[in-house]
Order: sequence, then C-alpha cells, then structure tokens
Amino acid sequence: MSHSTGERHHEPMSLRHAGHWPWVFGAVMLVGVSLLGIAFGAVSLPVSEVLDALRGVGDGADVAIVRDLRLPRVLLAAAVGAGLAMSGGALQGTMRNPLAEPYLLGVSGGAAVGAVVAMALGVVSPTLLTACAFVGAAAATILVMALARIVGGSGDTRLLLMAGVVVGAFANAAILVALADAPPERLRGALWWMMGSAADASWGAVSRSAGALVVFGGLLVWRARDLDVLALGGEPAAALGVDVDRASRRIFLIASWLAAATVASAGLVGFVGLVVPNLVRALGARQHRPMLLLSALYGAALLVLADLLARTVRAPAELPLGAVTALVGVPFFLSRLRRLTA
Amino acid sequence: MFPHPRLVRRARRLLVLLLGTTAVACTDTKRQALADTAGSISRVPASRSIAPADTDDFGVPLPTDARFAARVVSLNPAATEALFAIGADTLLVGRSRWDQYPQEVVRIPALGDGIRPAVEAILAAKPTLVILYATAENRSAADALNRAGVRTLTLRVDRIAQFHAQLRALSVAVGAEPRARVVSDSVQRTLDRVRAVTAGVTRPTVIWPVWTTPPMVIGGGSYMDELLEIAGARNVFHDAAQPSPTVSLEEILARAPQFVVTSAKQAGELGNDNTWQALPAVRDRRFVTHDPAVTGRPSVVLGMAAVQLARALHPALADSLP
Amino acid sequence: MTSDTRALLDGPSLGFDGITVQYAGRPTPALDRVTLHAQPGMITAVVGPNGSGKSSLVRSLLRRAPVTSGRVLLAGADIAVLDARSLAQHVAIVPQREEPGMPLSVREFVMLGRHPRRGAFGAPSNGDWQSVADALARTGMSEAIDRATDTLSGGEWQRVRIARALAQDTRVLVLDEPTTFLDIAHEMAVFELIDGLAREGRTVLLVSHQLNLVARFAEHIVLLSRGRVAAAGSVETVMRGEVLESVYEWPLVVTRDPAVGVPALLPLRGRGRAR
Repeated sequence: MSHSTGERHHEPMSLRHAGHWPWVFGAVMLVGVSLLGIAFGAVSLPVSEVLDALRGVGDGADVAIVRDLRLPRVLLAAAVGAGLAMSGGALQGTMRNPLAEPYLLGVSGGAAVGAVVAMALGVVSPTLLTACAFVGAAAATILVMALARIVGGSGDTRLLLMAGVVVGAFANAAILVALADAPPERLRGALWWMMGSAADASWGAVSRSAGALVVFGGLLVWRARDLDVLALGGEPAAALGVDVDRASRRIFLIASWLAAATVASAGLVGFVGLVVPNLVRALGARQHRPMLLLSALYGAALLVLADLLARTVRAPAELPLGAVTALVGVPFFLSRLRRLTA
Repeated sequence: MFPHPRLVRRARRLLVLLLGTTAVACTDTKRQALADTAGSISRVPASRSIAPADTDDFGVPLPTDARFAARVVSLNPAATEALFAIGADTLLVGRSRWDQYPQEVVRIPALGDGIRPAVEAILAAKPTLVILYATAENRSAADALNRAGVRTLTLRVDRIAQFHAQLRALSVAVGAEPRARVVSDSVQRTLDRVRAVTAGVTRPTVIWPVWTTPPMVIGGGSYMDELLEIAGARNVFHDAAQPSPTVSLEEILARAPQFVVTSAKQAGELGNDNTWQALPAVRDRRFVTHDPAVTGRPSVVLGMAAVQLARALHPALADSLP
Repeated sequence: MTSDTRALLDGPSLGFDGITVQYAGRPTPALDRVTLHAQPGMITAVVGPNGSGKSSLVRSLLRRAPVTSGRVLLAGADIAVLDARSLAQHVAIVPQREEPGMPLSVREFVMLGRHPRRGAFGAPSNGDWQSVADALARTGMSEAIDRATDTLSGGEWQRVRIARALAQDTRVLVLDEPTTFLDIAHEMAVFELIDGLAREGRTVLLVSHQLNLVARFAEHIVLLSRGRVAAAGSVETVMRGEVLESVYEWPLVVTRDPAVGVPALLPLRGRGRAR
C-alpha cells in the first residue's frame, strides 16, 4: 500500500509524549504551594516559627494557627481540588467533550438546594449541612439521569445535558423561593456557602473529603480503561466489548458524587474541573489512568494556591474560593479558545 | 412512564445510603443539642424569664468565674459596649471593626469583621476569651477557636431580657458583677419609669420599617417592639414572632398604622418611594422620629432610647419623663 | 494450506435468525424477520439501498438496536448469553461512522483494540504490541504509528479503524461501509485486504453499497430492501437487472465485464435523458 501523507497539515510535532516530567513538576508544585499555604495567611509569621509550630513547639497561638487552621485547610483544598479535577476529567471523557465539567449533571444545583433548604429548616451543624448538601447533589444527579432515560434512551449525551440544564434551572428556582423571605443572615449565609470556601476545615471535613476522593476517585482510576474506550463513542465502545449504557451510567454517577462530596465540603468552586483535565491532556497525558491521576495532582495544587490567594490577597477579609478560581480560569479559558480557532 | 425498575432499585439503595449518612452526621450530638436563637425560625416569643441559663447561644457552658478574663476579644458590638459600661474595658485586646460605641473603643485594635471573622487574626492577639455574635455563620469560627483551645462566649441580644442576661454573663466572665448589677438596675429603672408615665395614655398604632424593598418591619421578636410598648405605642406587627419580618405593603395597609417610626434620613427615603406613598401615614408625613444612634442598639442606652421614643410619641408627657 | 488445516483455523459462522428491529416511533420495522448466515472462509456481503436496514443489522450485533424478535447466532449459539467483552473477543466490528474524539496517537488508538483481552491494570504485553504492529502493517499504516488521530486524512482514519479491529485478533470480522472516503486505489486495497483475511479462514460480513466491488469479491450476497431480504445467494443469483432495479428503483443495466468476468452494474440516466 502506498505511503500516504495526510491531507490536513497540523503542527509538525504530532503528539507529545508525557514522560515523567509532568509528574515531577506536579508533585513539586503541590508540595511547594502546600508549604506556602501553611507559611502564609492572614497573619504573617516568620518561617522559623511556622516550622516550629508544625512540630508543636513555640507560642500556643502560633501552633494553633498553623496546625489547627492552616494545615487542615490546605489538606481540604487539596482534596477538593483533586476531586473536582478527576470528576471533570472523567466526565469529559465519557461525554467526549473537553468542555464538560463536574457540575453538569445537576450537582451544583442539587447541593445548593440541599444546603439552603437545610439552613431554612434551622440546620446549623456544619456536619449536617454537609450531609444535606451531598444528599441534594446525589439526588439531583439521579434525577437528571432518570429524566434523560425517560425522555428517550440513556446513552444520548444531548439528553443528559438538557436534563442537567432543566434540573439546574429548577434547583435555582427552588433556592430563590427558599431565600425569598429569608432573614438577612440566612441570605448572607446561603450566598457565602454557594460562593465556595475552604474555611470550614475541621479535621472531620478533611477526612470526609479525603475519604470521598479515595473511594470515588479510586473507582474512576480503576475503571480508567473503560473510560478510554467510552471516549471513542457509543458504537466503537460497544464493538470493543464495553456495556456502554451501564459503564457510562456508572461513570456519570461516580464522577458526579465525587463532585458532590467536594461541593458539600467547600461550596461551589468552578473552573477547576473544566480547566485542569484540559491542561493535563495538553501536557501529554491522554490515556485516562495517567490523565486522572495527573489531574488530581494538578487540581490539588491549583486549589491550594487559590485558597492561599483567597485568604491573603485582602486579609483579614476572605475572598470566595469560587471567585478566585474563576478569575484564574477565565484567562486560561480564553487562551485555549484562541488555540481552538487558530 | 415510570423510571426503569433498575433505576428504582438504585434509588432505593441510595435512600438507604443517604439515611445512613445523615445518621452518621447526627452522631455529632454536641452541636445537635442546641437551640440556635439566630432568628431564623418563627416562634411565639414567650415572655423570657430572667432565670439564668447555663450555656451560651451555641451551647458552650458559660464561664462561672473570671479565670478566662486575662485577654478578651469582643466581636460583638453590644458586648463591647457592655464591657466598657462595667469597667472591664481594660481587659479588651481586640474588637470587631463594627464595634463603635462608646467612643473610647477606637483605642482597642480592630481585628476584622464580627461575622465570619478571620480566626488567624484573632488568634494572633492571643486571647483567652472571645466573645462572638450568635449567628449561624459564626459557627465555624467558634469551632475553630475552640479547637485551638480558646474559650468562646457567643451571645446576641434580641430582647431586653437578653440584654440583662448578657450583661450578667459578661460580668461573671470578667469578674465585675457588682458594677453590672448597678448598670442593669439603672437601665431597668428608667424603663420602668417610662412605662409608668405612659401607662394610661391612648396608644397610637405604629410600624417601624427597617427596609423598603422588600418591606421589612420590626416585629414582636425585637427589643424595639418592647421599647415601643414601653413608650406608649402599639406596634401593628407585634404578633409577628421574628425580630424583623418581611411583610407585604398590602399587609401594612391592611393594618393601617397611624404613624411610622423612622429616622430623619429614612423619612426622606420613604417620602420619595413611590410604592410606600400608598400608605396614608407616609403620604401625610405622619412620622415619629428617632435617632438610630440611640435606638439602634440593645445596650446600656436602652433607657435613653425608651425616653426618646416616648417624647416623640407623646410630646405632652415630656415633663414627666426622665 | 490443506483443507484440513483450513478447517482447524476456520472461524465460527455468524448468523441472523429472524431478526426484527423496530425503532420507537417508526411505523415500520427497520428489519423484518431477516435471516442470513455468514460462513467462514469467504466474504458475505449485505447490500441494499439507503434505509434498507443494513446498518440496523450491524447495530443489532452491537446490541445497540431495539431487537424485538429473533436471535443472533455465533457458531449456532445465541450471543445473548455472551457479555459484551466475550463477544468482542470473538467478533470484531468496524462501525460505519466514528468521529475522532480527543486526539490519541495511532499507536494508542489501535492498542484500544486489545481492550477485550486486557485486564483492568498492567502495561500492554508483548503479544499486544505484536498484534498492534501486525494490524498496522496489514493496513499499510505502520509509518503513521506516532501521528495524532486528528491529523489523519479520511482514508487514513478509515484504515486505522480497520487496524484497530484487526488488533482484536478475532475470527469473525464485521465491517459497515469500510470504504467511504477512500479513493479507488485505497478502496481496492481494502477490499483485497478483506478478501485476504477471509481466505485465511475468517468469517467476514461486509456491509457495502459498492455493488460492483462486492460482486468481484463476495461469494455470498444478501440484498436487503425495506428491512427484508429481497434476494440472497451467489453473485449470479443476486446481480440481476430486474431484481436490482426493483429494489433500487432506478433504471440500470447489468453487464458482464470481460476483464473481471463477474456481473457489473451500470446505472442509466433518469428517464428521458441521454448518456
């Protein structure tokens, strides 16, 4: 057969081979920003005192600041960032769309409804609020998938997207109704919850988020080969021996519940799940297993950095985490857009 | 068309899982045990007895002596003012930036907001006791401070009885009980005097708006409603349980208040608002003026506030009033 | 190769027994009690006009079509007992359309063909790499192994997809319109490739609308019309003017091309036109 040259000419270098350096760079970055996150905060402490405080030595207040405030917060931000990035990566693969993001299937609306309704009913314990938000998100995801299935067939991505939009709109309406006659405090509280924050970083919250990451994220990594095949499309995936309906439903649920767990702990934090997997794919990680793991690494680093910025840029006031990620995400997004049309 | 049976099965499994999750969450009993008085639930306000409670508004036990009083941070305007009133201001090492009374507060460093405070900044002041404003949003700060080993005292004052209770709780916490009793009695005496003077008068019906869009008024859950009663007026929204419920203009019209209690500035805004013109009291400019600097805070100036309102409502009684 | 050895290497037969496919909301079934069999060692072609149900046939094999009755048989056994993975170890299917999604290297793309045989973890084995290399060599795409799938031309994309199916190492091969976008040379090359694969003992089912090429390469032809089998048999049986004209509803003439010795189809101009 004659040698054939492509009719379309793209960049001379066809595809980057990932190699080891993205992993090394990612690990270094994560460790680096974590250390920065512990060293910096609303109150400036000299590095030597920070190091002492980590070991439990030194002034009681400093130790409390470093070990009880900053450390769990950094860990929570890392777990949430990793979860969001993995969730986004899995959804982008299954939906064959690099613009898919973790909140697509009703997660954000459902979690917000869960939290706001709980607040309206007088729930005050952060733990219970977290549980209610998770329940709301999980229920919304199932609702979205059931809707898509009832309307017609389960595999159709467009139906899923539309069902997600419908459920999201309904959730927004429910939230507005719940807040319509709310006292100003509840309004403010609900708004803050929705804007995203890693401030409620008790060790319980950290362990819950880490647990969700390990369980749901682990499931995604285990099933990563299926994701590679699902990313080809419905018919080719079926031809290669994957039960497309079941496998994609599973992935949707697991990815959405992973996102739900992050929303429950830290509110709505956008752009991480959208941007990080694209970034990681551009670095050469195309197979889903390395892509998901690398996304977790970079997602964690990104969110730890965002949280650091959120609490230092206008100290002692705190910026909402969702606002910081959006401010970082938008320019990145625009640059990717340019490459698409270039 | 019902969902596929498999989905129903899955939903059932999910329900079990969720119930399990909430059960686990509910084992966090320490925080479950509280009644949060942060004003989000409607409740008929039973006349609060002045019997002392053992815990603060977040369920943390009240200090029984002054052992935590070495360095106090107060992020609660009413509490800060109270501390000054009982002479405990020497113990203050920090306040919120919203604490503005009395004028002497400016010498106390401001550590940020009173709601969602920056815990790091508070810890940096090395407090032994932190007084917080009781609202749901401050829970995580209270938790964080408790975790770091700092004693917290979370209070709020919605009613006059709570003012006395807060004063007592603070006085025990800083070791100034005698002085607090004096202040408490003084305020109560003034209130009682005003109540006596206005006892027999005809009570005009009033509303006290706090926001125009949506219309929010003072309801039965607020000390301001109590002040109105003491000062010889009748709040048409006395039956509303919340401190500042949102109501409709129609409801206000239906209750036909004779007067509107406002500040001078607010009177101008109301006068210009097109929808509020429908209210005869606004249209005819039947305003009872008060000074928000005095009436706006449930603190040691409560007595003065009652006097001011009584004067505005019943000018004829001015000479009998303190 | 002796006939005994060939029998040993022969693939299982693939059969459709009374398959009916009814899509929701359509008045008539896409396939109506269609029965056909593909035997090993030769190309069985399914032809017919657009909408005759050819692709529904392949979809029923993929189990992505609503089959209301009938069975699909592999070596005489109903495939319903096989899960997707087991089926993929025996039957390789190249669907009609596949849009390139997120770009992979050709190597990674073809390696996905090994998915039905690989576990959830672990690097590809030597056997895996060998299958990939062989598949690329047979489709003439060995030199493109490092290129990105989104840089391939239409024809290259087609051949890489066939290579992925070949990497599955199955004895049954089903291809749905594999020569779309291919020029004459590449189309002939693909048909010759498929012919070679069939002669090696595989069972090959080929859905195509290229009647003339099908006539030259397929030993058994099934003509579908409106979801039913209109004709089935050898080239001589099916490639007849009156049969084809009634199915395709277009004036045509069946000639016998002296160069190749099989019937060839010549569509005429619409009624009342010259040339």
